[in-house]
Amino acid sequence: MLMSMLLVSSLIAGSLAGGLCGASGAICNKLNLTTIAFAMAHGALAGAALALALNLDVLSAAMSMAIVTAILLGPLADSLRIPLDLISMILFSAYNALTFIFILLSPGPALMTERIGQLLWGSILAIRPSYILILTILLIAYLSFIAVFWRRLSSMLFDLRLAEAEGINVRLYKCVLLTLIGATIALSLRITGGFLVFSLLYLPAAASLQLFSTMKKLIAFSWIFGSISSSIGLWISLLSDLPVGSCIVIAAIILFLGSITYSRLRFKLSLREAVNLV
Amino acid sequence: MTDYAVELLNVSTHYYGERRPAIRNVTLRIPHGTFTLIAGPNGSGKTTLLETILGLLKPSTGVVKMLGYEIPREASRARRFCSYLPQDFMKPASEPFTAREVVAMGLSSKRSMGWLSEKDWMQVDRMLSLLGMLEHADKPFGKLSGGQQQKVMLARALVRNPKLLLLDEPFSAMDRESRSFIVKTIFPRLLEGGCTVILVSHVFELELITPNLVVEMMDGRVEEVLYADVHAPS
Repeated sequence: MLMSMLLVSSLIAGSLAGGLCGASGAICNKLNLTTIAFAMAHGALAGAALALALNLDVLSAAMSMAIVTAILLGPLADSLRIPLDLISMILFSAYNALTFIFILLSPGPALMTERIGQLLWGSILAIRPSYILILTILLIAYLSFIAVFWRRLSSMLFDLRLAEAEGINVRLYKCVLLTLIGATIALSLRITGGFLVFSLLYLPAAASLQLFSTMKKLIAFSWIFGSISSSIGLWISLLSDLPVGSCIVIAAIILFLGSITYSRLRFKLSLREAVNLV
Repeated sequence: MTDYAVELLNVSTHYYGERRPAIRNVTLRIPHGTFTLIAGPNGSGKTTLLETILGLLKPSTGVVKMLGYEIPREASRARRFCSYLPQDFMKPASEPFTAREVVAMGLSSKRSMGWLSEKDWMQVDRMLSLLGMLEHADKPFGKLSGGQQQKVMLARALVRNPKLLLLDEPFSAMDRESRSFIVKTIFPRLLEGGCTVILVSHVFELELITPNLVVEMMDGRVEEVLYADVHAPS
């Protein structure tokens, strides 16, 4: 009974978190925010590790660090006149170093608890009804934002500079998007762990890029592939007692390889049909 | 209404890290409803001038006004009345938006929350048809040829019904027939409607249409301004 309840909540949480990550990855990829998302993910990890060391709420700290990173990266790159990609990598390195320091500084008992495992490779036991509720609220906020402002977001996804030249407040929309993505990353940390959450952002997007060419389908199927990877990964982890994050990423990689294979086969078949017609 | 569509008073713009300004001490006044050609060799500052007018580049010195708005302070308000076609605007084959979607994006900043009405979609199709691109409306933008992409981008600029149209080398990939149609048919309609057109081109056939102003640029400076039938500002 307990097992089946855990499985059901895992599948729900996995679908929500994986879907949100997948869609965020598709958007980040199109907006060339890949390295920002990378820095945000590791900022969330460092925030969570700091919370562990200071015995604070891990989720709040992770979310705060991810969002602060997102908001500050752009202005920091502008004021220091360093390319955004480079400063993202600098922050990524700093966050990783800080993560290990904070973990080592954590009180002795904390190092032996489930909390460290949750932080590093995720945990099914982190999935509670309150967590699913927060994920659902984030999902509604995310979908509402994309649906209401789709035309303006499309313009930004097509070309940021032209969108700005046409009067769209690119900074504001980017800020909101990065905040939503930061919240997604911080929440997904619980399931995948800090070192692998980034993979869940990009593997589903990479898989859908093999198969679809319109923006709506790219986002929708990144969502679907993210949900499927997370759900399958969680289920395998539950059955085999392997780290959750690793199982999710392996599932996502298998899905990605499958999409490449299908895409190649589809192309060869269409080529053969075209040759036969001639 | 202000006297001029665009005013630059002693404007210089530097790119970060560069000591030498990309444009320097530019003073220029472009009246409403005129067609201005900005000509000059590569590297003369033509694109920098356009981007400074739009507020995409901040001037280091001087005053810039566009449709009466101070730039860059009021740039976001002014830009709703402008359209811009950047130079060398080409997207790869993987670009996930259709030609129709790309044109529709042009209206998103002018509509509440970016929502388009049925009338707006009809206008999008009308612009695509005007430029001979309606049959390609549902094709992915990236899979169109260079000239076709430029036509779609021009449709996007026109669908906004701009008061100021800034075009940076808009014909570089277009055939002569298309260029001729746009300049001889579309430009006069725009000018009659009160739109101010500023065209940057280092290759422009003056027999197609006579500009009201020709601004010759060289090495970041305005070398000469020739006025046709428009009264020169005092």
